[in-house]
Amino acid sequence: MTIDATMVGRSYTAAESYQVGREKIREFAEAIGDPNPAYRGDDAVAPPTFAFVLSAPALDLLLADPELGLRLDRIVHGAQKFNYVRPIRVGDEVAATATITTVRKAGDVEVIMYETVLTGRDGEQLATSTATVSHNRADS
Amino acid sequence: MSSVEVGTELPPLTVTVRRENLVRYAGASGDFNPIHWNDRMAVALGLPGVIAHGMLTMASAARVVTDWLSDPADLIEYGVRFTKPVVVPDDDKGATITFSAKVDKVADGRAEIDITAVCGDEKVLGRARAVVRVS
Repeated sequence: MTIDATMVGRSYTAAESYQVGREKIREFAEAIGDPNPAYRGDDAVAPPTFAFVLSAPALDLLLADPELGLRLDRIVHGAQKFNYVRPIRVGDEVAATATITTVRKAGDVEVIMYETVLTGRDGEQLATSTATVSHNRADS
Repeated sequence: MSSVEVGTELPPLTVTVRRENLVRYAGASGDFNPIHWNDRMAVALGLPGVIAHGMLTMASAARVVTDWLSDPADLIEYGVRFTKPVVVPDDDKGATITFSAKVDKVADGRAEIDITAVCGDEKVLGRARAVVRVS
């Protein structure tokens, strides 16, 4: 099968929550070359784009849905947006749910928008990630 | 950050991205797409060569704003379009991206900031915009 507009609204929730630790935040900050002291220590917050790492397990489930027929190596990240309620910080247990919000087709290319809601303990909303990706089915 | 008004320019930032940075980012983010470390795979997919993770460029662009804010928690909205790939050659020079930013709007305790990211002669991000809390 291939993805189409009838699949808007499908949701994917990562089976396990993500435990945010001090050393992971430090490693990510080092990897993006950001020396900001807010990203170090026991009270560290995560750099803003770390939210994308937290959304990845839900995206993996979306990509693995056989009815969508998507392949990671045919996907290009076109746009990305984050809305933050508060920063992700050390000690957070983050759950991610991705929902397909738009599917547009243009020839072999499918433009898919999906929104991932990140929530903490007790369902507290932390951030929303909205991604637009293009999936190219040419030669497949 | 004393006074924020429309037209205020944020201190610019220049970042050099080498292959080593892409390997580090792949490991830290869990994004092991081979187009970010394998020339053979990148070329097979029609790219000029290995390209930087868009999310790494987006992370660097955010620094222009979070370096300027006294508290990164004041960033409440941040979005970009990935308009051109950043090709990272397998040499010591790497790719250099220059980021600049300017306040476009101030209202209701919020400032909207437009960010520009240039690599070579090309803008690699489009509609890059951050919304921050200002007092």
